[in-house]
Amino acid sequence: MGISKEDEVFVSEIKSGNKMAFEAIVLKYQPKLMSALIGYTKSRDQAEELSQKTFLRVWQKIESFRGDSGLFTWIYRIGINLAKNDFASSHARSSKITDSLDQTDHDIPQHLSPEVELIALESEHRIMDFIQTLDADTKTAFTLREIDGRTYDEIAQILECPIGTVRSRIFRARQLILEFMNQENILNG
Amino acid sequence: MDNDIEKLSALYDGELSSKEMQESLEMMNEDDGLKETFKKFGLISDLLQRHSEQKTPKVLFLRDRLNKINPLLSNLVTAAATVMITLIVLYQLDDDRFQVDIDSSLQLSSAISSEQAKNQLLNADQNIMEHMIHIMQSSQSHKSQQVSKNWIPVGYSVNPDNPNQYSNGRNNLFFHLEKKQLGIKKVRYFKANNNWIYLIPLQDGRLLTAYGDVPPSVADPMIQSIYQRK
Repeated sequence: MGISKEDEVFVSEIKSGNKMAFEAIVLKYQPKLMSALIGYTKSRDQAEELSQKTFLRVWQKIESFRGDSGLFTWIYRIGINLAKNDFASSHARSSKITDSLDQTDHDIPQHLSPEVELIALESEHRIMDFIQTLDADTKTAFTLREIDGRTYDEIAQILECPIGTVRSRIFRARQLILEFMNQENILNG
Repeated sequence: MDNDIEKLSALYDGELSSKEMQESLEMMNEDDGLKETFKKFGLISDLLQRHSEQKTPKVLFLRDRLNKINPLLSNLVTAAATVMITLIVLYQLDDDRFQVDIDSSLQLSSAISSEQAKNQLLNADQNIMEHMIHIMQSSQSHKSQQVSKNWIPVGYSVNPDNPNQYSNGRNNLFFHLEKKQLGIKKVRYFKANNNWIYLIPLQDGRLLTAYGDVPPSVADPMIQSIYQRK
């Protein structure tokens, strides 16, 4: 599966040197990458260090990203290959393991960000139940976006409403979910 | 502030123009609170994806056109522009007891508003959806004597003015009979807002469709009595 439309926009900006767009991608994917790296290294400190190296590499090599895979898939491969190299170095192996970005010898497991993993199943169910209480228009637009990965334009066509309405419905859903999570002290420590 | 976060939400989805994107990125760059919000949008996405993978739902979207359909059903399910339908395989006919099979539940939340969306929907569960659309669009009534007394929930009686309608004074239930079962082997029910549609394959090869604002707690004894085994 290739790059998603939303990531394509960010990648294009990053390729033109937009550091803020890069930071947005870090915000979006670092928690997920951390989770993968913690799973691989069993060490949060090591994962933190590898995560920083990974995003540095992403910044340096973004020009070589062709969009044949999803952006996170590409980031994940860089992170895991760096972890493999670290592992090899620490075992004093002379043969260096490739950090080829095209390597596809493993599937990406469903890594969730550590924060999401902190959300207990019971809290998850409360959030999902809350989503069910959203009004039908809001819920439909939000679900089309988050589950189906539809663009705003596609959602507008399906729901026969202006794109601006789609945008505000999706925002409204996110806002209400965040308010609910705050109110329920989910992720507030 | 809401406007800023709305832009942030669209930024997250990659749906801003180049100019708006830059404005939004600059705004986020100067505000840690917005950064945190942006990060939480990602958490919500992850959570939904996790939940979606766990439940393996098949989510489609059905926009109702019920102003053009059977007015009986229209009265029941046209309250919202979009009807969210949940299809759940409820009863296991292979068992001696009819157990709720939550694990095999399948969610269909759909909105039919276009041929494209309708086609998508039909591909998902063609027979059932064809049937649903058929009964929604059908104004053909059946003879009331075809409805067995065993099917009527306790406390419900036929409306003298409408042999298809049964009521307990507050809730209404309608029946529809088909000669074919459309490959449906188990009782299934749909939820559409506050209303329910039950597809009940009968042992004689017909398919009974019961619909109305009658929840499963009321419909359950009715379904069990239909399937009462000797």
